Amino acid sequence: MTRVLSTLLSHYRRHPGQLVMLLLGLWVASALWSGIQAINATARDSYARADALFDTQLDQLERRDGAPLTRGEYYALRQAGLPVSPMLEGEVVTQAGTRLTLIGIDPLTLSSDNAMAQANTSASLSDFLTPPWQTRAAPDALAALGVARENASGATPTLADGNTLPPLVLAPALPPDTLIMDISAAARLLESGDEITRIVAAPWALAEAPSGFILTRATTLASPGQLTESFHLNLTALGLLAWVVGLFIVQAALGLALEQRLGMLRTLRVLGVSGRSLVVALCLELILLGLIGALAGIASGVWLARVLLPDVAATLGSLYGAGVGQELNLPWHYWVGGLAVSLGGLLLAGSGVLWRAARLNMLELGQMQAWRGGYRRQLTLMSISGALALSVALALYGWLRFQPPGDGLVAGFGLIAALLLASALWLPPFLALVLKVLTHLAQRRPLIHWAMADMQLQLPRLSLAMMALLIALATNLGVGSMVGGFRLTFLDWLDQRLVAPLYLNAPSEQYADIDVWLADRPEVFERLLTRRSDATLQATITPDGSRALGTPIELYGITPGESLTPHWPLLAIQQDRSSAWAAFSDGAIFVNEQLATAENLAPGDRLTLSAPGANETLTIAAIYPDYGNPRGQVLMASPQLAARFNAPPSSMGLVLNDNANVDAMRAALRERFDLGSDALSDQAEIKRIATEIFERTFTITRALNVLTLAVAALALFASLLAQARNRRQQLAPLWALGVPRAQLAQLNLAQLGGAALVTGLLAVPLGIAITWGLVAIINVAAFGWRLPLYLFPWEMAITLATAVGVALLAAALPTLRFWRASPRALLAEEANQ
Amino acid sequence: MLELHQVHKTYATPQGPLKVLEDVSLRLAAGQSLALMGESGSGKSTLLHLAAGIDLPDQGAITLEDQNVASLAEPARAKLRREQLGLVFQQFHLVPSLTVIDNLRLQARLAKRDDADWSGYLIERLGLTGMEKRYPEQLSGGQQQRLAIGRALAPRPSLLLADEPTGNLDETTAGKVLELLLSLVRETHCALLVVTHSPQVAAPLDRCLRLSHGRLLDAAP
Repeated sequence: MTRVLSTLLSHYRRHPGQLVMLLLGLWVASALWSGIQAINATARDSYARADALFDTQLDQLERRDGAPLTRGEYYALRQAGLPVSPMLEGEVVTQAGTRLTLIGIDPLTLSSDNAMAQANTSASLSDFLTPPWQTRAAPDALAALGVARENASGATPTLADGNTLPPLVLAPALPPDTLIMDISAAARLLESGDEITRIVAAPWALAEAPSGFILTRATTLASPGQLTESFHLNLTALGLLAWVVGLFIVQAALGLALEQRLGMLRTLRVLGVSGRSLVVALCLELILLGLIGALAGIASGVWLARVLLPDVAATLGSLYGAGVGQELNLPWHYWVGGLAVSLGGLLLAGSGVLWRAARLNMLELGQMQAWRGGYRRQLTLMSISGALALSVALALYGWLRFQPPGDGLVAGFGLIAALLLASALWLPPFLALVLKVLTHLAQRRPLIHWAMADMQLQLPRLSLAMMALLIALATNLGVGSMVGGFRLTFLDWLDQRLVAPLYLNAPSEQYADIDVWLADRPEVFERLLTRRSDATLQATITPDGSRALGTPIELYGITPGESLTPHWPLLAIQQDRSSAWAAFSDGAIFVNEQLATAENLAPGDRLTLSAPGANETLTIAAIYPDYGNPRGQVLMASPQLAARFNAPPSSMGLVLNDNANVDAMRAALRERFDLGSDALSDQAEIKRIATEIFERTFTITRALNVLTLAVAALALFASLLAQARNRRQQLAPLWALGVPRAQLAQLNLAQLGGAALVTGLLAVPLGIAITWGLVAIINVAAFGWRLPLYLFPWEMAITLATAVGVALLAAALPTLRFWRASPRALLAEEANQ
Repeated sequence: MLELHQVHKTYATPQGPLKVLEDVSLRLAAGQSLALMGESGSGKSTLLHLAAGIDLPDQGAITLEDQNVASLAEPARAKLRREQLGLVFQQFHLVPSLTVIDNLRLQARLAKRDDADWSGYLIERLGLTGMEKRYPEQLSGGQQQRLAIGRALAPRPSLLLADEPTGNLDETTAGKVLELLLSLVRETHCALLVVTHSPQVAAPLDRCLRLSHGRLLDAAP
């Protein structure tokens, strides 16, 4: 067996390019897949730690009037015999500028099932409760605190405001951006006075909400894991795509290596090696190469994940408020899984090779005729499989049409995957058909006729790389158009919502005085006061009937002045915009698209919201877009929100007259009300920050997109390189017959450029279909809002140019080698064919 | 027709320069046939490649139809090959992507001298009737070599260069192919230069020259 294996492997000594191509395919497939899985595993670990802590494991009480909770209320509830626990939450800024969440708890009253309560063993409980107290932090938080791990225990890091934290105790189960300490220590650091943030209870420990409070059950709170599911699914889909594209390279390399070794296999059979032994030896070869490729891939994947993780963490933080550690935390099953996926993929890609080797009569191997017939059968099979994949896509589309809006995330991805697969499978039969027609049409143009016929011969070896290119181009175009469309929509939306040149964020108690002062300023045209609060959506009343809910939502109050209302975007209204705004000013509400999608709401429907005193039932006058917000939101006029929900002011937009001096106004406000430097922001600054967050959000998507295209380019390059020798053998007779070498080189480039152009042309409609799937299905299912479908002709042109460019680049080196080969070598190679 | 005058050719090899041809001179008149014999490595194929403009000499002149091949640029040499020369190789060098008929007419089409009647006649003479739509790999070795001969003669060249045209064939097939080659050469009145190590191939030709270690043993021309 060793001898057979070493004989088989000797092929790669003569053809190192094929070995490189094979390992390259395995490496990139494994690297991108394992890199993404490393990111997902780290993020999931962070979510699990956050879940285990508080948010989704505890019922929460809040005041019905929305006012902040106080210690007095907590004491009153305890005196009433209710098993509740106080919690204080705030932010501290480290000296490195990182914001960390500080949570103060009372471990004596906190549910013993909770991760934090479990962490407090009796041995350390008194240290935790009494001065100098303790700060519990995860090891991944140490970097932000500027503490080395070996010195962590007992360290007292200083914060940006000069305060020092109580001595550190490591608690690996905590989320990466969270510090835990006794509530009294937290109150000192946060200077919270009598206020507390939450009153919590063990799940279902309270049968009902105490009078004056709203009870939110743990099960209705969305965990970071749930919120970010779509993001990780998106990453996984891109990783899977790169894995598939990488395996295309592997399969192309294996197919080529088998084809070129048919003679060797035949010889080995003649020399007495059994068919079974040959297959076993080929399997061993696959496993050996697979292990090398997979280990290199996993190592690179971990490196890639380390590079991308900060951007991913920033994205998840800005999109969902989910904290993700910046250090990789990989469980054992990650390594085993990575290896298994790489080897499994290799065996999948190599199964065809093994099947052919096991099945074909060795004495017939190597005959071009059998191979030509085999490829025809393969094209038929591809057409049938493509039709099946398209049927799956159509079936999924049909199914999705009957689903309520917002459902079908996995089915949406399935639809896109089926579309990609169908197109990829149909590409080689389509190209073969086009080439056949062109060969027929070019009868009188001998060189073009040859080029077309020759391309037909090349197609089997190139088809996998072309399929990979089609998938990568279409995905690139699809995702690029989605991101580009989102960008345009987002910027437009920012312009529509940010109409004031200056925005004020002052302490809520100052707004009344500021408003009075501004009312007398002649340069102020309009004051756009906003308010924010939270409430629970108790019920929806639609033409189909009433439905009881208990969904937490945001309340947002705006001033419907003449500066804002003409621009504020509305997606659905009952009659016209002016009627909708008139109703709004009279007490009707608008709901954001997310809420409308999730609860299947339309203008005219009514919502019952929890309000201080009694519930409020309000009519929906319109639905508006609210990009980037993961929560449902109800919009109402600021005065209405204040009157009905006691919502405090949260910001104020100042619309100034044309000749007003913004800087002078800013200075006057600061001086008059002693405002901090960050209390006033101008419109450009807010837009810049929002755009920055947006760009960062899609950094990872763009990076993976480019990597996938690079992998496809590599696939094409590797395929061409692997068959470069073969190509020279094909070109040599023509050159000997009197076709100048320059013309042959040009033809060679034109052949591949043409095939890539056709592939690129097919990628355009496919890319549009993917964009549609992303904005109309996946986005709605994942985020609850739909984006308009934007098409970018310039990007399509770039896609086409990229396709041709990639092909020409890939063809350049083999062409150059042909160009530079000596005539004797050319004919000698042909002779050795 | 074809004249080589004091031609030298040396190849660089890892072991140092290798003299392949040394001071070779010969002449071949229109309609004549010449066999160039020698053992493997004697420089026969190199001489043929030089004559065809596939390779260039280090020294000396090669004149074909009054043109100095060595002084021509690559495109001009390619033009000369497709319009004036027919080439037959031991390994046939057929184009696997083209059918029998397309292979046969390929060079004639490239030279813009395609003649359907002549191609049809050649197919018939070569015994390939009914096989026009087949691909080269679907033919036997003898049929492939006959097709290669047909392809070389289709543009009606003035000189046919054949490199071991029967080297890959069995004795019976080789005899038939040679007979066919000579018969067609006579019909087309083209000159013929055959490189071979077989006395049977050389025997029916007008003249025979021997090459050994890069030098012509017989007096030239």
